[in-house]
Amino acid sequence: MGKKFKLSMRGRHILEGYSFISIWIIGFLLFMLIPLGQSFYYSLNHLELTQGGLKATYAGLEHYRAAFATDIDFRPFLQTTVTNMLTQVPLILIFSMMSALLLNRGFRGRMLFRGIFFLPVIIASGAILRELLEQGAAQLPIFYQSDLFGKLNAFIPEDILEPLLEYADSLTMVMWDSGVQILIFIAGLQTISPSLYEAAKCDGATKWESFWKITFPMIMPMLFVNTLYSIVNSFTKPDNKIMEYINNIAFRSNNYGYGSAMGWIYFIVISIILAIVFFIFRRSLSATEGRR
Amino acid sequence: MNTTSLASKYTELQSKAKDAWKVTWVKRSRGILGTVFFYLVILSLAFVFMYPLLYMISKSLMRPEDVADATIQWIPKKFSLQNYSIALDAINFWKGLVNSIIISFGSAILQVLSCSIIGYGFARYRFPGQAIFLALVVFTFLVPPQTFVVPLFKLFLDLGWVNTHLPFVVPAILGHGLKGALFVLIFIQFYSRLPNVLEEAARIDGAGPFRTYWTIMFPLAKPAMLVVFLFSVVWHWNDLFEPTLYLLVPEYFNLAQNMAFFNGNANLEMQQAASSISQGTLGLAPTLQNQIMAAVMLTIFPILLLYLFTQRYFVESVERAGIAGE
Repeated sequence: MGKKFKLSMRGRHILEGYSFISIWIIGFLLFMLIPLGQSFYYSLNHLELTQGGLKATYAGLEHYRAAFATDIDFRPFLQTTVTNMLTQVPLILIFSMMSALLLNRGFRGRMLFRGIFFLPVIIASGAILRELLEQGAAQLPIFYQSDLFGKLNAFIPEDILEPLLEYADSLTMVMWDSGVQILIFIAGLQTISPSLYEAAKCDGATKWESFWKITFPMIMPMLFVNTLYSIVNSFTKPDNKIMEYINNIAFRSNNYGYGSAMGWIYFIVISIILAIVFFIFRRSLSATEGRR
Repeated sequence: MNTTSLASKYTELQSKAKDAWKVTWVKRSRGILGTVFFYLVILSLAFVFMYPLLYMISKSLMRPEDVADATIQWIPKKFSLQNYSIALDAINFWKGLVNSIIISFGSAILQVLSCSIIGYGFARYRFPGQAIFLALVVFTFLVPPQTFVVPLFKLFLDLGWVNTHLPFVVPAILGHGLKGALFVLIFIQFYSRLPNVLEEAARIDGAGPFRTYWTIMFPLAKPAMLVVFLFSVVWHWNDLFEPTLYLLVPEYFNLAQNMAFFNGNANLEMQQAASSISQGTLGLAPTLQNQIMAAVMLTIFPILLLYLFTQRYFVESVERAGIAGE
């Protein structure tokens, strides 16, 4: 190898590194960058299927304007998707952290319960989830069997009660969506050294205090990972209205240009939300960095 | 004198012991109460997680008579596999199973191999532009597939890959495919925690970079492999988005597609029944629902079986694989 090219140690190291990730770069170009570029091009054009293939006529930003100005479905779908995400992700994070704290304690049958808590990832994803939603299996019977609505209506006005119960109903969905997050939190909790808790105990800290002063800062990175994961997951879920809508526009009505434009708008909205999340976590993450 | 002081000391000690016993008893009962409360919480949570599965099993085993019987909530009077035998045909089980296995296990194995190589490159080498490529890996995870699905579909159509398994296989070979970026990140996380010593020893003994990777480092990554493999299998198994795009002929349908198809037909039938027959005789719909539940059970059964056997290793190795990231 060293006969033709005389590479320094450093040069060889770099070359080896690149050769390991080269397959990823090829894949990125083929299945990501080029399609992304093309879809951006599509979104700026009117596309027609002719015998010679796709015929494009330049349309400028017309599709983007149409999505907000003339399409009566797109904006409501986008709104519900974003509000769903905003209400569910905090709940998922709180619930999964609590479950992880519970499951991380040493008790009998820990492994069994961990297995059960992860079950929804197996059965409640993709097509199965849609099925279950249609059949009403996603709602726990307590909410409609015991006439909770009638009983609570005596105390709480209907306008507040109805969304509240709807929210409670979506709690089961929240629980099912938090399987992966629970695992990530458990993995994070396991990395915290027990000596920290012992030291805190010697100094007279209560459990509550040691949670906020030790556990919470130490699993901050996992909280960040989980937030990102939950947001992305909620945006690409199969029961997501906007995903379905874009699919229908692109593949049923064969309106490729408009479908691509909506895909780009959706992507930009997601990027903005993720950028905000990055910004919020930036300070707390840099604070924990030196502590490991 | 001596005896009285001894006696008083004795009673004193006795009362002290009693107090101590009381304290420990209070402590212990509080501990028991805490444990009971703890188990109550965790059992009720576990019930919610088990609920969909129990619901499906119960519904799928019911006969039409049981559905109509209002006294039956969970346990049917007589277990019957009648729904299953209907569903077995309706979703074309064996053919779909073969297709599902090819897609999900094939992609999973390929993704384990490719993502491991890529993750190793990122974790153990320092090269210019690394930060940019790493950012791009995260980027691929964040882009919704809808954004670029149209050109991708056109690409596969032009290549003549539609109605073959190639749209699943080729991206998986190159470390992409369904959530490929996430798997790369898991491997990066795992490899960056391993000590340098093993690698250095192998290099000093004269092994090249790829041989070092393949014989020393790759076998060490078993926990990460297991996690990636299982996630990949499960997600491919349940995914409906890609198969409905690339597999358009019923012959190639996987289980999830067959089930969705059956469900769509059944819903249509129900609607027709509801519109044509008067409201009073809607006996057909509930049984169809039970057949759908049986179809769902059949679809997830193989994956459930896999999970049952690997669950212990899986949950353990998630901890060791350091899926958590920094």
